[in-house]
Amino acid sequence: MDILWFGVFALLLIGYFALEGFDIGLGLLLPVLGRTQKDRDRIVAAMAPFVLANEVWLVAVAGVLFGVYPSIEGDVLFGLYPLVVSLLVSWILRDAGLWFRRRLDGRTWQAGWDWMICIGSYGLALSWGMALVALAGGLSGPSIGLLGLGGGLVIAAALAFHGWTFASWLLPGQVTGASRDGRALLASACVAAAPVAVLLAAAAPWLLDHTAPTGTLSVLSVIVLPFAPVMVGAQVWTWRTFGPRRAADRIPSFF
Amino acid sequence: MDVLDLARTQFAVTGSLHFLFVVLTLGLAPLVAIMHTRYAVTGNPIHERMTRFWGQIYVTNYALGIFTGLVMEFQFGLSWSGLSHYAGDIFGAPLAIETLGAFFLESTFLGLWIFGWHRLPKWLHLACIWLVTLTAHVSAFWIMATNSFLQNPAGAVERGDHLVLTDFGALLTNPTLTMALPHVIGAGLWTGGFVVMGASAYHLFKRTSEREFFTRSLRLGVITSFVGSLITVGFGYAQFLPLSTLQPDKFEASALTGASLGAMIGIGQLLQLAIMFVLMPVVYWLPRWRWAQPILMVITPLPFLAAILGWLVRETGRQPWLIYGKLTVADALSPGLTSGMITTSLIGFAGVLGLLAVVDYVLIARTVRRGPAAVTLGADGPADSTERAHALSY
Repeated sequence: MDILWFGVFALLLIGYFALEGFDIGLGLLLPVLGRTQKDRDRIVAAMAPFVLANEVWLVAVAGVLFGVYPSIEGDVLFGLYPLVVSLLVSWILRDAGLWFRRRLDGRTWQAGWDWMICIGSYGLALSWGMALVALAGGLSGPSIGLLGLGGGLVIAAALAFHGWTFASWLLPGQVTGASRDGRALLASACVAAAPVAVLLAAAAPWLLDHTAPTGTLSVLSVIVLPFAPVMVGAQVWTWRTFGPRRAADRIPSFF
Repeated sequence: MDVLDLARTQFAVTGSLHFLFVVLTLGLAPLVAIMHTRYAVTGNPIHERMTRFWGQIYVTNYALGIFTGLVMEFQFGLSWSGLSHYAGDIFGAPLAIETLGAFFLESTFLGLWIFGWHRLPKWLHLACIWLVTLTAHVSAFWIMATNSFLQNPAGAVERGDHLVLTDFGALLTNPTLTMALPHVIGAGLWTGGFVVMGASAYHLFKRTSEREFFTRSLRLGVITSFVGSLITVGFGYAQFLPLSTLQPDKFEASALTGASLGAMIGIGQLLQLAIMFVLMPVVYWLPRWRWAQPILMVITPLPFLAAILGWLVRETGRQPWLIYGKLTVADALSPGLTSGMITTSLIGFAGVLGLLAVVDYVLIARTVRRGPAAVTLGADGPADSTERAHALSY
């Protein structure tokens, strides 16, 4: 059962990078791809229906970290204190940009929140890169350093590539000027998730060593696993509903 | 303030902000779901407009519930790592179940509902808002179960230096859960009902053109708050009996606890009696009484205030314990947490969330003021002329 829950944990973290990765990536590219307000509206409208279904994977990661690896949850989060704080603040600012940008009509209001999406996305990508470098070093060194910054830039580049591919897949020839098929999107998802997948593989023995007792895992399994098909179904439904054929319609986006 | 006080302040500020938005989410979700159902069944456009107008207020409020909730989830590990070391084997389980079995689904279905207007088949779209409502309440159940474990650590025994789970059933039938959960859900309905009532009173007072819309809404708000207030007050008093044995000194824990309890009961009891004996008997005529509408607007924030006071009672009343009788708040503090770290995060979280909360309330007030005609949620055509031109250029 500890293997099963490691699998769930790994799937959720990899899934977060593969899915939320393109939202963050498009946030990074927003000022570049969206030079006019109309273009930015179109980019945000493309990713908007997916954001709520994507970002929630990280909420689930944190929940499983607490439930399945309680003895290291505190150490990991506390060990990354400044990075977790900057990750959360960036995440909140990015989300605020999305939720608020269309609530008022003013040009300054919308452009201002678009910048907030971009800044928040940079904060997310850089915090993640630095956190992954710090975790790879076993939380022994300082959490913020040159090597960490390099990691942050690598993650930012990978997520930007994923975001660019997503836009080329959903809105072929429109925002990026390029068209990509589903296979290219899958490949860019793999690029976005590769760093964290490598780290998970390396950390697997350590995580398995710190799994919660069988009693706790049994309770989690009995209550959570029956919902797994619903969770998968809801995600698939999101992709079927808002995929490429439906994306170019004329319904104004809420975000 | 020392590190412990700062960490407690951070938790109290973010927790209070979180509940301020969550309490309205819990109350508005079922109301929007009912409006959407009436629209789906009857096809009457007024129900569609009500669903979209109150739905936009609901989702605007929802945003801050997410932002503050993110900080809450990660804060346990940041400031209180002693908690997961000592009780993580039990405390972590309901939190993990909440994120996977409730919030994961809630967030996904909310995305489908918000962006599914004019895209999803009618009945599937309706199913989304009911699933959001259901999972929101399931989420409340697990969060309250987790909190109740702190109030009364049922189903666990101490083995060595930490707690182990012995009886999961006892965790779910915790007496500090069974009476408090309906109390919280009732408070949600009450708050949601009052917001609908207060906003409707504003439009009726201003004599805007949406007379029928807000006449119906005002009645719905009063009736919802009546139901909510009965549940809240009933299950409020019902908590005294289990508390008298489980936490006998709770209300003497500090001056703040006692004062908060008094103020909450004062507000709650007076309002509940006023709804039952004044508003409900005249609910049919109330929308026409212009003199009463400013009063309805003024009392709208009171359930929010009572809800925060209630949490102050519950949480300050278990001090100095984090897990009652087992682990003190001081012992749960992350070892090595410095004053500089917690001050920085406190300023960051409180500053950002505080500002966004103000912006959010301004946006909600503005949505109310502009009325149903200006709603963007579920709009089916381009919102303005520039967009119309843009849409035609496809």
